Amino acid sequence: MIVEFGHYALVLAFALSLVQSVVPLWGALARDDRLMAVAAPVSVTTFIMVLLSFAVLTNAYLTADFSVLNVLENSHSAKPLVYKFTGVWGNHEGSMLLWVLILVFFGALVGFFGGNLPKDLRAATLAVQGWISAGFILFLLATSNPFARVANPPLEGADLNPILQDIGLAIHPPLLYVGYVGFSITFSFAVAALILGRTDAAWARWVRPWTLLAWSFLTLGIAMGSYWAYYELGWGGWWFWDPVENASLMPWLAGTALLHSAIVMERREALKIWTILLAIFTFSLSLLGTFLVRSGVLTSVHAFATDPTRGVFILALLCFFIGGSLALYAWRAPALKQGGLFAPISREGALVLNNLFLTSACAAVFVGTLYPLFLDAVTGEKISVGAPFFNLTFGPLMVPLLIAVPFGPVLSWKRGDLLAASQRLYAAFGLAILMTVFTFWLWGMDMVLAPLGVGLAVWVMAGAVAEILTRVKILEIGPSRAFSRLIGLPGSAWGTSMAHFGVGVTVLGIVTASAFQEERIATVRPGDVVELSGYQLTFDGAAPRRGPNFTEEVGHFTIRQGGIFVAELDPSKRVYTARQMPTTEAAIHTTGFSQLYLSLGESRGDGAVDVRVYFKPLITLIWIGCVIMALGGAVSIADRRLRVGAPKPARKRKSAAPAPAE
Amino acid sequence: MVFWILIAVMTAAAALSVLVPMSRARRSQDGPSGNADEAVYRDQLSAIEAELKRGLIEPEAAGAARTEIARRLLNAHDNHEREAGRISQAPRLKFVQGLALFALPAVAVGLYLFFGAPDVPDAPLAARLQAPAEEQSVDILVARVERHLAENPEDGQGWVVIAPVYLSIGRAQDSARAYAQAIRLLGPRQDWLTDMGEAMVIANQGLVPAEARQAFEQAAAMDASAVKPRFFLAIALGQEGRKSEAIEAWRNLIAGADGTEAWLGAARNELAELAGADGQSDRTSQTLAPRGPSQEDVAASQDMSPVDRQAMIRSMVSGLAERLADEGGSVSEWGQLMQAYVVLGEMQSAENALEDAQAAFADKPEDLSSIKDAARQLGLTGS
Amino acid sequence: MTRKQRRLTLIGTAGVVLASAFGLILFALYDELVFFQSPTDIALTPLPSGQRIRLGGLVEEGSVVRSDNAEVSFRVTDMENTISVTYKGILPDLFREGQGVVTEGIVSPAGIFIADSVLAKHDENYIPKEVAEALKKQGHWQGGKAAAN
Repeated sequence: MIVEFGHYALVLAFALSLVQSVVPLWGALARDDRLMAVAAPVSVTTFIMVLLSFAVLTNAYLTADFSVLNVLENSHSAKPLVYKFTGVWGNHEGSMLLWVLILVFFGALVGFFGGNLPKDLRAATLAVQGWISAGFILFLLATSNPFARVANPPLEGADLNPILQDIGLAIHPPLLYVGYVGFSITFSFAVAALILGRTDAAWARWVRPWTLLAWSFLTLGIAMGSYWAYYELGWGGWWFWDPVENASLMPWLAGTALLHSAIVMERREALKIWTILLAIFTFSLSLLGTFLVRSGVLTSVHAFATDPTRGVFILALLCFFIGGSLALYAWRAPALKQGGLFAPISREGALVLNNLFLTSACAAVFVGTLYPLFLDAVTGEKISVGAPFFNLTFGPLMVPLLIAVPFGPVLSWKRGDLLAASQRLYAAFGLAILMTVFTFWLWGMDMVLAPLGVGLAVWVMAGAVAEILTRVKILEIGPSRAFSRLIGLPGSAWGTSMAHFGVGVTVLGIVTASAFQEERIATVRPGDVVELSGYQLTFDGAAPRRGPNFTEEVGHFTIRQGGIFVAELDPSKRVYTARQMPTTEAAIHTTGFSQLYLSLGESRGDGAVDVRVYFKPLITLIWIGCVIMALGGAVSIADRRLRVGAPKPARKRKSAAPAPAE
Repeated sequence: MVFWILIAVMTAAAALSVLVPMSRARRSQDGPSGNADEAVYRDQLSAIEAELKRGLIEPEAAGAARTEIARRLLNAHDNHEREAGRISQAPRLKFVQGLALFALPAVAVGLYLFFGAPDVPDAPLAARLQAPAEEQSVDILVARVERHLAENPEDGQGWVVIAPVYLSIGRAQDSARAYAQAIRLLGPRQDWLTDMGEAMVIANQGLVPAEARQAFEQAAAMDASAVKPRFFLAIALGQEGRKSEAIEAWRNLIAGADGTEAWLGAARNELAELAGADGQSDRTSQTLAPRGPSQEDVAASQDMSPVDRQAMIRSMVSGLAERLADEGGSVSEWGQLMQAYVVLGEMQSAENALEDAQAAFADKPEDLSSIKDAARQLGLTGS
Repeated sequence: MTRKQRRLTLIGTAGVVLASAFGLILFALYDELVFFQSPTDIALTPLPSGQRIRLGGLVEEGSVVRSDNAEVSFRVTDMENTISVTYKGILPDLFREGQGVVTEGIVSPAGIFIADSVLAKHDENYIPKEVAEALKKQGHWQGGKAAAN
């Protein structure tokens, strides 16, 4: 009965979404307060209903109710409790329910905290959000119902794919979804603005916290996924330009561009049309990502034809939302008044440049990801677009962008002075040159690009610091008074600097880990020593071991540096017994920001095993930089000014955000 | 009933979340967009002042920005004036109220009845395992004991309970293993050893494997008067081709019987076959054993879904039925066929098989009686 | 600068950036596309040396030879033609004889495929889609069911 209760709650949420998508919009267009007043309460009720059904599904997983088909196919009574819990979204139906839960959660947030928005804008935004929820709840009910039942359930389920039985992968999807789905709110705001014909500086300010929230979570989600791939797949790589990864990178690039263009719109009422378009694009790319991952198109264009209902349904939703919003855009955008003017050299100009490069990079990723699918579907020719393509396109587009990053915040609005701006960055520039020369001295002249890359990263980081320091005029007023000014700086200024600093940190990690990485592949027998980057790795032998649901062959290595003991590492090769699935478990030793990475290959029978050892200098900076970026986003949300006429307490919103993961 | 009441409550709550805010909302004095944007612009103005005071921007830039924002503020104010005059409140309230009261429940309940399964009860595993025994299928009872044994593998009595159940539901291998556990924990007993051996023989397609033979020998040593182990030992001797020893074993067995035992017919049959097979010593042991599905067939059936397995069992049964109809067969094969029909729930086919068997053995009264015994045990009427 | 000049400068910059991005994408597509080929394709049309391709097929039973230093050589077959492959590195978890494999690298003048990456996916039943189709073309594909999995 409980299960059916959850099922009904989901159906009721669908009916409520229909109400939410019609009544408030009607009210907004007819200027009827009574109808607009429905929007917020209904969005909250819808959220409660979906939350109820999600709780019911979770309960079914925890109590191993195999009369629910979804539980039967994806769980096992002997599975550890934490994976019973995370297993709820370890499958198609459950993860789509989580997706919808986050979607209506964002709707409820706008309903709950949006008290300071104009009534008509809030009503129309929630109505658009209602369309999206209605579409996706219907998708769930009609093609991927998590509450499908089995009349005479067997006693045991089919278990969760062992590669998903990992805590990293368990939290990665909720983070990523909060990011993906968070952009639905900016989309709804944009469509509402087009419908109501109100796009002004205030609109940009109201949208900003939502963009920041979604962007921060998307950043964390991508970083988490990258780290998971790094330690779980055992290849030592942290980014593979895999279509699934690209699907999350594209909305991130578009979202970053949106974040910046919205600033111009807020301050100068310029770039209005462009900002609205970016808001539409960002969520469209999120939907595209969902479609690519969920329809099976990626594994094979033909898998799509095998089970067409889901794919066709999502494709229809995709066409409706993207096509519909773009049509609305084409119809209404020309009517928008153009905003303030500015000189090419100005803060606005720098942000336009930022947008140009980010959207070009996004387009490059888009082409690289979809061209093979397109070619396969049209001509049947099989090609692959791999890392070289992306390195050749994405890389060169990022370099000028990164060079420009420190200039942006120090240029003034409207009409900037490049010379004055450069003067503020002398110190940063000097430091960057110094680090470049230092790297050349350290590594010799045979690598030209890497030291330049290090210099670029230092430039971005030092530029971010310099920006904060010049803001408080540290040179003119001395450190003690500067400190009090430092504290008084608005959150958005701190946020900008932190995020830019984080970008520099990530770039530094990427450059050093890829250019100065050392790698050794060897076949070792007990007693053998592998030398790498000043470490001596002694292979002490391999032994079998049994885990709760796997068996493994564990190699034991002792790591010494100049004869002094450093650590012991136990990489292993596992076979999960239930599905007879082999996995590689790498062993990682972190020293400072660098890591020693060991993964085991085939064993040769006579006690010898293949082993692959990497030394990856400063690799953890890649993910630390992402965390700093996300923190910058959080600090920026906390800016007092965003609370005026915008969703009120940023603190509350942040603590409420992880709720769907509970 | 409780379910439907809860559903009604939920639906009512949903409808109220539409109705209440609507009736509460007052006609506001300002326009629909309120003065939220004015607040933003005022805040922008004060931010400019603050920045100017802290020397973060140049005075002339501040002046330009101030003019710009002031213009926006004025625009927003004008817009509100215009909007305020245009508020209309046509009587669409009734329509939306109707929507919430009728359309919302209708859509929700209608869709639910289409997608949902209100009559399927919950089945959390723990509750299923704890329900009273008489309401449960054998599978669940077995799973319950299995769960108990997984937690207390040293509980010998548990293994004793489950071993014969395994055998009756066709999991002969598990049955043998359960007996072995019981013997390990509680010490050897003649009947457990014998039943373990029997389970091994069944698991081995009717051939007596070496471990089973050891078990029978141990059982026979413990209780020389026990018939069953000796019966199987005799079969083993026959299968190993030690004909004269086998014949002697059968003779001893039959001599010790008082003539009413159920196994007697089978024993005589075996003896007759062995004795009569003198001239045809090339007969392999395979033909003595009842012909069951091959090891591969059984292994394959483990991988199949329940429906497939049912189909496979069915095809094997019909194969057996055909063979018996065409070539005839031993008493035990006919017994097997009847039992298979009973297990599949096809009582009529079982009765038919009994009739055919009676017809086939009409001229052999001993076989006939053992057929009838088997039928009685299976609950067939033989009418 | 006048209004018009400002606007032209902006549009000009945007045009230059977009055009160079577009050019870059086209150039990279032309240069970095890697075509998928089966051993038969390679046997029929010899490749210019140094041309990177993806080679897919089945790992021939009994052909895997491991030598020290984690070097391995095996033969990839599509049941019509066979080509030798050498690779130095750790093979993916799901690499097995008789199973599908996709490798990327170049064909050496001696006709040996020198792979620098060997791919496998996280799926037990995974036969790379290219391999499945190449085998289908050769008429050696019976695993219709496996492909649907």
